[in-house]
Amino acid sequence: MPLVLIGVTLIVFSMMQILGPDKLLSAYVDANKLDKISIEEMEQLKDKYGLNDPLPIRYGKWLGNLVKGDLGWSIVGKEPVTQAIIHRLPYTIELALYALIPILGIGIWLGIKAAIHHNSWIDQLIRIFALVGWSLPDFVFGLVIILFFYVGVNWFPPQNLSNWAETIVRSAEYHQYTKFLTIDAILNLRFDIFWDALRHIIGPIITMSWLWWAYLLRITRSSMLEVLRKDYIRTARAKGLAEKEVINKHAKKNAMIPVVTVAGNMVIGLFMGVIIVESIFNRTGIGRFAARAAQQLDYASIMGSLLFSSVILIVGNLIIDISYALIDPRIRLE
Amino acid sequence: MKKLIFVFLVVFAVVSVFSEVVNPDTFFYATIGEPDTLDPHYAYDTASGEVLYNVYENLIAYDGGSMADFVPLLSTAVPSVENGYLNDDGTVYVFPIRKGVTFHNGDPLTPEDVEYSFERALVFSPAAGPTWMLFEPLFGTHDIESMVEEYVGAAWGDIFDADMNPKSEYKQALIDFFNDVIDPAVEVEGDTVVFRLPKAFGPFMNILSQSSHWSGILDKEWCEGLGLWDGNADGWWKHHDWKKEDSPLYAQTNGTGPFKLVSWDRAQQKVFLERNDNYWREPAKLKQIVIAGIDEWSTRFAMLQSGEADLITTPAEYLPQVEELANVTVMSGLPTVNITALSFNWEIKPESKYVGSGKLDGEGVPLNFFTDENVRLGFAYAFNYQEFIDDTLNGLGINVPTVLPEGFLGYDGELEGYHLDFDKATNYFKRAFRGQLWQKGFKMTILYNTGNSSRQRSAEILRDNLAKINPKFKVEVAGVQWPSYLDARKNGTMPVYIIGWLADYPDPHNFIFTYYHSSGDYGKFYGEAFDAFARRPQPEFGGRSLNKMIELASVDPDPKMRQKLYVQIQEFVLDHGLSMALYQPLGLRAQRSWVKGYYRNPIRPGEDYYSLSKSE
Repeated sequence: MPLVLIGVTLIVFSMMQILGPDKLLSAYVDANKLDKISIEEMEQLKDKYGLNDPLPIRYGKWLGNLVKGDLGWSIVGKEPVTQAIIHRLPYTIELALYALIPILGIGIWLGIKAAIHHNSWIDQLIRIFALVGWSLPDFVFGLVIILFFYVGVNWFPPQNLSNWAETIVRSAEYHQYTKFLTIDAILNLRFDIFWDALRHIIGPIITMSWLWWAYLLRITRSSMLEVLRKDYIRTARAKGLAEKEVINKHAKKNAMIPVVTVAGNMVIGLFMGVIIVESIFNRTGIGRFAARAAQQLDYASIMGSLLFSSVILIVGNLIIDISYALIDPRIRLE
Repeated sequence: MKKLIFVFLVVFAVVSVFSEVVNPDTFFYATIGEPDTLDPHYAYDTASGEVLYNVYENLIAYDGGSMADFVPLLSTAVPSVENGYLNDDGTVYVFPIRKGVTFHNGDPLTPEDVEYSFERALVFSPAAGPTWMLFEPLFGTHDIESMVEEYVGAAWGDIFDADMNPKSEYKQALIDFFNDVIDPAVEVEGDTVVFRLPKAFGPFMNILSQSSHWSGILDKEWCEGLGLWDGNADGWWKHHDWKKEDSPLYAQTNGTGPFKLVSWDRAQQKVFLERNDNYWREPAKLKQIVIAGIDEWSTRFAMLQSGEADLITTPAEYLPQVEELANVTVMSGLPTVNITALSFNWEIKPESKYVGSGKLDGEGVPLNFFTDENVRLGFAYAFNYQEFIDDTLNGLGINVPTVLPEGFLGYDGELEGYHLDFDKATNYFKRAFRGQLWQKGFKMTILYNTGNSSRQRSAEILRDNLAKINPKFKVEVAGVQWPSYLDARKNGTMPVYIIGWLADYPDPHNFIFTYYHSSGDYGKFYGEAFDAFARRPQPEFGGRSLNKMIELASVDPDPKMRQKLYVQIQEFVLDHGLSMALYQPLGLRAQRSWVKGYYRNPIRPGEDYYSLSKSE
């Protein structure tokens, strides 16, 4: 794992170096200031931030600091990169976890429904639904959600909380035990804030869900169809088992193996795929942080986000492997 | 399932109606970006300036929307010759310090705090920061490095090692430098603070006034407690030019202003301010301010529409969208203090890649191309100023005659600026280089910094018009990265440059000196030929040089006299085609109609929340 991380970071670090110190400096200087800055001041700033050092030295410094837990200063985050990630992580985890519930629940349910009613109107309807979800870009769908559910009926507003709730959350009497807005609200017995946090999270969840539903239900559907054609299903039916029992007991579990692979990758994807949703709904989180870092060529933040994503990817894949074993004992034996 | 969804939706609808909290005490501003730093001596951008403006206070402030009249703030008087606080021909400013004012942490304001604040600014003096504005009036320079080098007699790099420790032989000289040079410039005398200038400097009050957060007053005791400079001569250099993030003032404040900083939540890109109930004036009407960085236009727009945001940052292209909203007040065509102009390089360096053959042979331009006044004036009359504003800026711009923005002292609407006139341009070009230019034509490249589409467009318009005037006039337009642009300017290889200037303080000196004095921030790049021109006695000025006139205009204590001098300078500048002022952009503001108390002061960074309130 460390080798993979070193490889990935080295590649990205080198790619950014191609930009040269002048371009990298633009991250440090406010755009309004650019007209007024002199060449001498630019040189002074480049020296100050070590941008003139050669690549191996800069990478070496970055690695050395990484070992000490210092990922450098984030220009877009306006705090150390480690802090910036820690402060934003709970928001993204909360969003991703809440999103998982409807995505997995409804996605798999729709997939199974479509498979059971293979080629019927239900199947066709679900497939059209999937096709639209798969084709609709999330930045468009997100805006539609805002337009309809926020501007129209004011149900699902952008941001994390309403102003009144934010004021209470910031007050001394309110304890932020977990940094998860909904859980903290319950622990503080503030159900009004819980409700407010929930309202704010639904818009992004709907936006993300449709895309993933489309993906997940297609996989579930085809996997289920394949399983339903297997001999042991025919045997089960021949034994006279009720159709419900055949589906739930024999087909579903076996159809889940490819779904777990997809779902596992989906969890990883959710962490990284929040960029657009967090930006559109103006939610705090890792995705928006990474997007802004990339826009501003803030290399310390880009490297930090990259490291974070790599860790998620590696750990995520490990968890997927373990889940296979749990679902199918044969894999464990092998 | 259907039932469940139905119940869910009903509950949502009901709860949504009841959770609609209209909070008249809170103001929500959805904008783009967020502060760069909250250290008043480092910050040089408007987002930081807005927070600092509302948290810290200066000795004096602008009177409402005026950019020329002042009212006392932490000083009890605005120095003038009449009240005896402005002495020695405008070189000694005395500020009696207000009593009974406390900082947000409860510390009382003292004259020592005022002296400390300015000296800390001078000592700290970060690269590319705003403190050069204090050096100019107080010492006639722009930075502390050059002053130290002159005083100590050694180069900055030789005086200090990499950790900013001075070599032993220079240490005493550095201490003496502070005691002899920096300290006497700002002194406490009884209950007053006295500034001593080497010579009169017209814009000094502007530099001290609120909106100029680099002149905000800090709490000395609190700063010392944070590990900032302690006010002693020994070791001042250790507190010079820190990294932005190393300053303890980066994300915390302690001012005397009407609002206190509650937090700067960098994860959420939000600044929270709350009313200072112990404010020395009547406390503000608004209790809480939220300044939120919301990059997405559609989200900002939706928040204004729903009433959650009271004010949003609106780019010019979205004017029609906000105009359609109910309960929203839109003000467009608001003046700004920003100028974009095209200037000429009078002495292009031979290594330039942008002058073709470098000769007047139709395949290039001679290096002294722009020393010929006819060429400059020919260019000036070959541009469609108003059409550019209408088409490229959606009409949100003013066609100003020179680089002095409308609304500034010295601005004269009667001055006839340039306009598109092919006949005039043709006449000038025919006279240039004794008619040779017209016969042979020329070829050159105009650069713009990549990404700046309005600068690109203006270069293209000029290119097309010049080709219409004479097909032998060939201009190429090329985009380069900003550092390359600066390099080309510094090295003198760029034939013309299109560049903007945002006012630091609302005084004509900030623009006229910058563009037209041969030592100005831009004027110094016009080449030695321009320097010679600017130093040459001119009959229009009764034998004075352009440089001299600009200097005189900046120091004259009489505003009427200054007005006259600046008009004279501008007439001269127009007659000789020194630059082409392309446009002064106009601003746009969209706010909920329940926002009351707004007034415009173009030099102020962002909002003055003290004046605002919310009511139907």
